[in-house]
Amino acid sequence: MATIVAPPSVARHQARYETGIWSWLATTDHKRIGKLYLYTSLLWFFVGGLEALLIRTQLWGPNGRFVTAETYNQLFTMHGTTMVFLVIMPFSAAFFNFLIPLQIGARDVAFPRLNAFSYWVFLLGGVFMNVSWLLHAAPDAGWFGYAPLTTKAYAPGINIDFWVLGLQILGLSSLAAAFNFITTIINLRAPGMDFMKMPVFTWMSFVTQFLLALSFPIITVAVTFLMLDRFYGTNFYTIAAGADPLLWQHLFWLFGHPEVYILILPAFGLVSEVLPIFSRKPLFGYSVMVYSAMVIAFLGFGVWAHHMFAVGMGRVADSAFAIMTMLIGIPTGVKIFNWIGTLWGGRLRFTTAMKFAIALIALFTIGGISGVMHSSPPSDLQQTDSYFIVAHFHYVLFGGSMMGLFAGLYFYYPKITGRLMSEKIGTVHFWMTFIGMNLTFFPMHFLGLNGMPRRTWTYDANQGWEMSNQMATVGAYLLGAATLLFAYNWFSSMKKGPVAGNDPWGAATLEWSIPSPPPDYNFAVIPTVTSRTPLWGADPGPGPVTYPAPAGNAAPPKTAAQLHITMPTATIKPLIAALGLGVMFTGLIWHKNMPVMLAGAAIFVASLYNWLLTPLEPEHH
Amino acid sequence: MNRHPRARWALAAALAIVLSACNQYAPDTIFGAHSQFGHDVDQLTRRLLYMGIAVFVLVETALIFAVFKFRARPGAPPAVQTHGNATLEITWTIIPAVILAFIAVPSIQTIFRTQSEPPADALQIEVIGHQWWWEFKYPQYNFTTANELYVESGRPVAFALKTQDVLHSFWIPQLSGKRDLISNRTNHLWFTPDSIGAYNGFCAEFCGASHANMRFKVFAVSAAQFAEYVAHQQTGPVYPVPVDSATAVKTTAAKGAKPAPAPAPAPALTAAMTNTGTWPLDQLPKHVIPATPLPPGSVDTVAGDAARGAAFFKTAACIGCHTVKGVSFGVIGPNLTHIGSRTTIASGLYPNDHAHLVAWIKNAPAMKPGSQMMALGMGAAAAGGYTDQQIADIAAYLSALK
Repeated sequence: MATIVAPPSVARHQARYETGIWSWLATTDHKRIGKLYLYTSLLWFFVGGLEALLIRTQLWGPNGRFVTAETYNQLFTMHGTTMVFLVIMPFSAAFFNFLIPLQIGARDVAFPRLNAFSYWVFLLGGVFMNVSWLLHAAPDAGWFGYAPLTTKAYAPGINIDFWVLGLQILGLSSLAAAFNFITTIINLRAPGMDFMKMPVFTWMSFVTQFLLALSFPIITVAVTFLMLDRFYGTNFYTIAAGADPLLWQHLFWLFGHPEVYILILPAFGLVSEVLPIFSRKPLFGYSVMVYSAMVIAFLGFGVWAHHMFAVGMGRVADSAFAIMTMLIGIPTGVKIFNWIGTLWGGRLRFTTAMKFAIALIALFTIGGISGVMHSSPPSDLQQTDSYFIVAHFHYVLFGGSMMGLFAGLYFYYPKITGRLMSEKIGTVHFWMTFIGMNLTFFPMHFLGLNGMPRRTWTYDANQGWEMSNQMATVGAYLLGAATLLFAYNWFSSMKKGPVAGNDPWGAATLEWSIPSPPPDYNFAVIPTVTSRTPLWGADPGPGPVTYPAPAGNAAPPKTAAQLHITMPTATIKPLIAALGLGVMFTGLIWHKNMPVMLAGAAIFVASLYNWLLTPLEPEHH
Repeated sequence: MNRHPRARWALAAALAIVLSACNQYAPDTIFGAHSQFGHDVDQLTRRLLYMGIAVFVLVETALIFAVFKFRARPGAPPAVQTHGNATLEITWTIIPAVILAFIAVPSIQTIFRTQSEPPADALQIEVIGHQWWWEFKYPQYNFTTANELYVESGRPVAFALKTQDVLHSFWIPQLSGKRDLISNRTNHLWFTPDSIGAYNGFCAEFCGASHANMRFKVFAVSAAQFAEYVAHQQTGPVYPVPVDSATAVKTTAAKGAKPAPAPAPAPALTAAMTNTGTWPLDQLPKHVIPATPLPPGSVDTVAGDAARGAAFFKTAACIGCHTVKGVSFGVIGPNLTHIGSRTTIASGLYPNDHAHLVAWIKNAPAMKPGSQMMALGMGAAAAGGYTDQQIADIAAYLSALK
């Protein structure tokens, strides 16, 4: 593969990158990048969760004055933006990074340095957006930032600038990653793994990457218009110049609805890995699961205006989008039934991962049903922008995405760290999350049906809203405590957890055939695949309910050098390129400071140039 | 049950949540609506809800059954390795499709019914959203009011919805679904209120700092009362003070020159002037009485004089933004011609009484975050500011503008 042979100096540089902080800053190893994504998302999860707790404290009683209206508006805007762009998406990205190469029998992703670049740009975007808190200027127009509230005339401060530029940065990261994973999945599958033998998580991820690659350009256009309006005085959304504010809404939701599936499909993939393993039988209706994801993704681009029934699009448009939206319920329902079909007749073992996976089925169903209720426009007119919607999308995103991600985190913890997480604490964490989640979000259905609008800093007494709000607040604190417990379990099990061995769950796919944690080259020999469940063999499958005993300390795997495997070299250049971008955007928000912007551009271009001239792999020995 | 403490906990939690639904005091509920539009939506929503509950029960029962029935037991033979079943897949594709057809048909029927053309004799109301208050114009009757909307029970009402600035959304949960107010566009909504009642209205599209405080009240009244209301609104401000007399007396007294001209006689009060046609204050249901607390430090110890207030109003900053018919012509803030007969101030945020008016005039931004009405009180205003006496006088005058 290496067509450019590195000079000897590269080898000397490499030594520096093997340990300590440099081994993270310069890494091109997909597993390390996956871990970076994971820990960064976990950090933002706490930030977003803290914002949620402040919101819920403010709403404890009527006419609350715990935070000011301005702060509250910043809190809910940043809570939404953080949870969508800085938590669920990168948590999913952590799994894409860590798992896809392992599941398809590859040694890394197709473009390892682009992969590192995606991560650093993501980190930068998150930091950039949250720096606004330190300047008391956090974005405050809601996570979907409807024009003209985001235009200079109504938002003269730099709050919205942080949001606009932060989304631009994050979009770059997602796009680069999407092309990387599409290429990886198409080109780097192990011999014998045709598309219909790919693990379901990889399939769901594959579909997600196409959603990312097709929908992020749309939000990029929408946000670029807004950026030009705010920084350079154009009039895309300037109502005084006759702009139509619906331009933003159409563009945003044309991205925003596929985004919903970007958030949920990876979780569906994780759950589809967990359920068969702990049911001791293969996924029910594998091909239907794959096709239904494609149908969901395809229809997902045709339903955006169901977010806009209240704007008065007219009878025909309302009807058309209603029918499209109802149609999307069919493939989603099929997935639910297939998961239950997977459990049916199985030998279920209720590990924490399994509990979270089953909870996804139970809770996502509720979010799906309330979703069908909004698909009917006249009914939606009473529900949209009320707390009913807040309940709905939290059942989808917490009951669906987060439950699936938790299932994945418990399931893959041994592969990531080499040890098992405490099942005892895990069970407590699960029940606290399950109860807390329902206590927080179920009463919001009633609040919405009883007329409470969303995004309200406070509410009046005598509306009958106190009790539901208090239940939600108690639930939110329970969720907060549960998440702290999860973090404790995660970090303490790293030292105390039993050593996992290659395959602690008796699982079926390639990632479980290699040591935990995997060596940097993943597979000493690239496997040849003949079935969807290579570790289970052909029928009759995994055999009786036996689980491998946790392994003791096995001999450490050989290094890549010992095995004469060539791996991509570590390099700091993607990080520097990302920093260059950061300097550019800082210059822009800093009153369009031209020297700073030019300096950032220079760093970016120089680093890219340098990066392109650096060989991907070291000299062969 | 005792063998499953966890299940018992879960059951208790679920019960607690469901019980919160039985908290029957729900004055703003979307169910049991008070208009034909509301009934149509109500019926559809109930159909969706019941079908949803049926699907929920089915799916969750199957799931719970599987969880208990198929748990791994020692010595059990391995699971049969099924990979799928085409008949089942087709079945559970078709069943949801059929259910959805039963939702789609009435949905589309309701869309076409509720979004039809309003009857020609409908009451026309122009709604204009502002950050953060509501302006209501009645073009058929040629008057303008704010934040309190009167409609006639039994008569269709057709709204033309516009916004002065950012997007807002017009929502009266007890009467109809939302309709957005969109810059550079006019939106439409109509319904027929079918009972007499007082309802809360909300802004349902996030519109900035005081989105939560952009409320309004809706009074659906009888045809006779509505006629009284209209007749009253069409008159000028009812406070009959000859606004020039007080200042005129003062000036002439100071100069000690020509005798003051006799004050113009107060116009005789007609029935239309005294009978406001508004909802009786003592019959307001509690859900439309705002309970927003005053900011700490608000004091109201000075008694106001309406006559002095009337004179001062003419030269005060008030007239830059507010209209009092025949007195001032400002159009930035709410029309105050009949402010004294409204039940609330500040877009449904505070009760309309002397204490709240005084606090509001002194420092509106402290009463309502982001309020575009500047603080006018001494010490609160950016420059100068009015004395407590001056503000109390203005408040007394405004209260008198029935």
